Amino acid sequence: MILLIQYTLVFTSVLMLVALGGCFSEHSGVINIGLEGIMVFGALGGALVMSSLPAGSSAFIIVLLSILAAMVMGIIYSLLLAVASINFKADQTLVGTAMNLLGTAGATVIVKAINTAANPNNPSATVQYISARKAFLLVNGYEFNWFMPLALCLLILAYVILYKTRFGLRLMSCGEHPQAAASVGINVYKMRYAGVLISGLLGGLGGLVYITAGVSEWKFENGVAGFGFLALAVMIFGGWKPFRIALAALLFGFFRALSNVYTGFDLLSRLNLPSTIYNMLPYIISLIVLIFFSKNSAAPKAEGIPYDQGSR
Amino acid sequence: MRKGNSILRKPAVQTLLSSLLCILLGLLVGFIALLIINPSGAVEAILDIIKNFWNYSKRATQLKNLGNTLVKTAPLLMCSLSVLFAYKVGLFNIGAAGQYVAGAGACIFCAVGLGWHWLPCMIASILAGALVGAISGLLKATRNVNEVISCIMLNWISLYLVNTLLSKVKNPTSPYTYNVAKQMVIENGASTTVAHPEALLPQLGINTLFNNNKYVGLAIPLAILLAVGIWVLLNKTRLGYELRATGLNKHAAKYCGMQDKANIVLTMAIAGGLAGIGASMLYLTGFEEWSVTQSSVPGMGFNGIAAAFLGGLHPIGTIFSSFFIQHITDGGAQLNKQVYPSEISGLISSLIIYFCAFVLFFKLTLNRRLDRKAERLQAIAQKEGGKA
Amino acid sequence: MEKEQIRPQDSEYAVEMLHITKRFPGIIANDDITLQLRKGEIHALLGENGAGKSTLMSVLFGLYQPEEGIIKINGKEVKISDPNDANDLGIGMVHQHFKLVECFTVLDNIILGVEPVGKAGILHKAEARKRVLKLSEKYGLQVNPDAKISDITVGMQQRTEILKMLYRDNDILIFDEPTAVLTPQEIEELMQIMRNLAAEGKSILFISHKLAEIMAVADRCSVLRKGKYIGTVNTKDVTMEDLSAMMVGRNVNFHVEKKPQKLGDVILKVENMTVASHMHKNNAVKNVSFEVRAGEIVCIAGIDGNGQTEFVYGLTGLEPLAGGKITLLGKDITKMPIRRRSVMGMSHIPEDRHKHGLVLDYSLEYNIVLQRYFEPQFNKNEFLRRKNIRAYADQLIEQYDIRSGQGAITSARSMSGGNQQKAIVAREIDRNPSLLVAVQPTRGLDVGAIEYIHKQIVAQRDAGKAVLLVSLEMDEVLDVSDRILVMYEGEIVGELDPKTTTPEEMGLYMAGAKRKEM
Repeated sequence: MILLIQYTLVFTSVLMLVALGGCFSEHSGVINIGLEGIMVFGALGGALVMSSLPAGSSAFIIVLLSILAAMVMGIIYSLLLAVASINFKADQTLVGTAMNLLGTAGATVIVKAINTAANPNNPSATVQYISARKAFLLVNGYEFNWFMPLALCLLILAYVILYKTRFGLRLMSCGEHPQAAASVGINVYKMRYAGVLISGLLGGLGGLVYITAGVSEWKFENGVAGFGFLALAVMIFGGWKPFRIALAALLFGFFRALSNVYTGFDLLSRLNLPSTIYNMLPYIISLIVLIFFSKNSAAPKAEGIPYDQGSR
Repeated sequence: MRKGNSILRKPAVQTLLSSLLCILLGLLVGFIALLIINPSGAVEAILDIIKNFWNYSKRATQLKNLGNTLVKTAPLLMCSLSVLFAYKVGLFNIGAAGQYVAGAGACIFCAVGLGWHWLPCMIASILAGALVGAISGLLKATRNVNEVISCIMLNWISLYLVNTLLSKVKNPTSPYTYNVAKQMVIENGASTTVAHPEALLPQLGINTLFNNNKYVGLAIPLAILLAVGIWVLLNKTRLGYELRATGLNKHAAKYCGMQDKANIVLTMAIAGGLAGIGASMLYLTGFEEWSVTQSSVPGMGFNGIAAAFLGGLHPIGTIFSSFFIQHITDGGAQLNKQVYPSEISGLISSLIIYFCAFVLFFKLTLNRRLDRKAERLQAIAQKEGGKA
Repeated sequence: MEKEQIRPQDSEYAVEMLHITKRFPGIIANDDITLQLRKGEIHALLGENGAGKSTLMSVLFGLYQPEEGIIKINGKEVKISDPNDANDLGIGMVHQHFKLVECFTVLDNIILGVEPVGKAGILHKAEARKRVLKLSEKYGLQVNPDAKISDITVGMQQRTEILKMLYRDNDILIFDEPTAVLTPQEIEELMQIMRNLAAEGKSILFISHKLAEIMAVADRCSVLRKGKYIGTVNTKDVTMEDLSAMMVGRNVNFHVEKKPQKLGDVILKVENMTVASHMHKNNAVKNVSFEVRAGEIVCIAGIDGNGQTEFVYGLTGLEPLAGGKITLLGKDITKMPIRRRSVMGMSHIPEDRHKHGLVLDYSLEYNIVLQRYFEPQFNKNEFLRRKNIRAYADQLIEQYDIRSGQGAITSARSMSGGNQQKAIVAREIDRNPSLLVAVQPTRGLDVGAIEYIHKQIVAQRDAGKAVLLVSLEMDEVLDVSDRILVMYEGEIVGELDPKTTTPEEMGLYMAGAKRKEM
């Protein structure tokens, strides 16, 4: 039971962070299908820092540096989306798809290059961070980590930023009606950059949280196994609103956790369902949710439409 | 105003030019990555990727490897046609990957588990892919579910479903299924296999052209034929007229009485069928088996997106772009694994998709440049005319 | 006149745009245009669609940089490179299509861009709210600051836009076609607001092509035509006919020649038609009943957004009915799909030619067969008969004088608005329909094209066809129709005879101030 709660909370943190990231990007008017790729790169940044820090580093340094690295990598990677979709008015779905493929391929190449450089007989794409990972744990022996309170703080911060600050008001105006925003002197390009980069920051962090969830090494060939896509579904289910996203993340996180630990439950293991059912569940639920929530979508009105200063 | 008749104005020329530019940029960035990893062998490595089968000195081996590339080009071409076809109707079929998975599941199960002949197996693939595609289409048409999101979900659902289904025809000693050339039979509660060559696609003698590469056969001409067929369907038929109108302006399509919702479902079903048949073109050659423990969706469908856009969203163009993408993907395997990761070719092809996103901007800029140049020339001509 | 005490740098003018020229590839949008706005006056800028008014205003707001000419504000030459500069100079604008964020409140929209903030960018809405309420009281601009834009009336949305300018302490106020979406009563209110603002010392530029309004409210009027500056006049010194002549360059014959009416059988019968609305809450169609006979033009008049769009969607099959019955040529077509209505003889010139009327990226010939591509003439064994399509397109291009760069293969996108509309009209009329439904068929077209399209519509009537015209233009309604039905908030509130009614009477019906029991 404790295990289920642990995993639920871990996956909830991941999904919530990444979905909040998507939420910022979409509120600025840019659809971010590339969250998956952003997560991979964030995870890569964090993992490399964790594996390369000397063994005796203090927990605080490890936590701080790996989080920073994940965020920075996420931001840098999300620039790919920002440049293409904001400056070059590219098809945002296409760019996002390319970023997802590039994320896994790029991270694999980087990790393999590092591994083979260290040892030519180790052409694997795995990064290990056994000791560093312990720095994140709140209580020894349990999978409760620093990310959970951090995610909670970021949730509240996201809400305040979106609904209580000048920045949030301006950001959302760019996603709803960029021409209106421009007419009152708001720089739509800048705000959209801000939205996309924040999604990079949160997505990158989410990637780090994901790969430290109960494991001490990560195979980068596998990317992040569709979590970026699941986060998109969470964002839509959450109606682009932070607290509802948190609840949606909790629900999805629970089902995802169930697929990891269902064997520990008498009732569930007696049902003798193939494990793939639990893997599938979150996706099936998202699909069903979409069926019921897509008709009157609360999506930002101008999302996906490139903004051009010249057009009125 | 008369526009200059520069050859650069021709859409076909522009498309070709931008595709080449995407390829060059993709290779360039890939090359830079190789340089960073190990500068001394980078030139050789990028050439290895580009050369692929030409790396072998013997002509026979070259042909055999070219054959292997072609075997995988056929399914890639089908996936890219699937993406292209949906895109022409205004739908982004990111679900080609899942439809491909469904097709793979169907044909492998029918061949190994049920012992069917290749043709019904192939039809099962088409139907399975079409079903998955049609679900996305139906959700889009009736519930306004964005097809990109539903396709992504269906990709994963298909993957896990197929893993479950195919674990019934799994080789007990490995994570893979039995090869389609065999049929599984249960004797005394244990599974064994018997030879079942009827499930393999006919080779039609094409294999002899490729040094008897036994995997080469019907799939290749069939794929090319289907590409041409899609072009004809889109450009010459009433249905194509309707579907393209729907893609370009769904409101106008509805206004003039086209069945917009039915067309969306039909389009996604056809797109799914194309991806599905693509899977049968690979697995029914016996070229590889399915791993029932794989936890990521095969890249074939996503590479299809690359090939579709690189081919300028033209069915004939995708024949070449599919070959190119598969060619460099196989080229990656030519690298020295102790120095360079083979995923570098995956990196290059994903970079190519990324650059393809800039094509529209590139064409726009090019046209504007040409406009300005034409204006300048006109102004000069006027001045000179005034003097004379 | 008494001499005013003015300091030397003070100018008589709030805005001077001198010799402005702005070119776009292929056209000169503004050709040496001069506009001078005096302080405290209401100055009208008159011109047809495409005369260059919008471009000139975009130049003033820094959205475009002119190739030639200078701008002076309060006598000082300035460079305006974006809307922020314009705002800093005290220039504000109510755009024709409101620039309001629908899911924000009135207050949020007003403060957007000039938000009062405290530490860390946290919004201080309370003080902003007080200021808005004070301003709204001072100028008689009634709004609810906490209502969402999507929930309030068009009139209140416009008042929000005006408050946006006042909140920014703008002294130079520009109104771009502000009356197009208002009822006559709301228009009267707006004019009073404009007069109040001018009396408080604001300088107002009023962009319009409605002569009566200009005569009623403006002190002076500058006229543009086809990108050129025609002149500036005092409205006291001229008549509406003078202004009209300046605007179009010739005296337009607004009257359309019609043969005496020969009424035939009932072609269309609508009974208790009700349509639900997705867009707004109040403009669904409610219980509409009427008939259209062969040989008459029945016009549905009304202010934009009173259910006309939904009515047409219901009639043509684009939206299902919530109730009622439609009979065409004696057959119940209430549940019939669009294609079958069309084949039965209903032609539809849609309101929005870019949204519904054309596939812009198809060639002209493909657009011309859009309603007929499935007929045996153009389709054999599911393959298109391209030769026949080309021949038919060429025939219509010739017959209806549709002009385009490369004839039948021209992309519809590259054609002018007038020729796009001609192509639609040709397509719909050439099908020889029993009933022609024409929705705002002349919207955004120049005078020549309007005349042409009116002639085509009248020719249909004269040939014994039934015509249902939906129009927002009072002139068009009065000139073309045989019978007028006024629609207000989704209901038919009156039937008028164009020969006996007056614009004023129609206005009362359109504004809901008067209604007949139908």
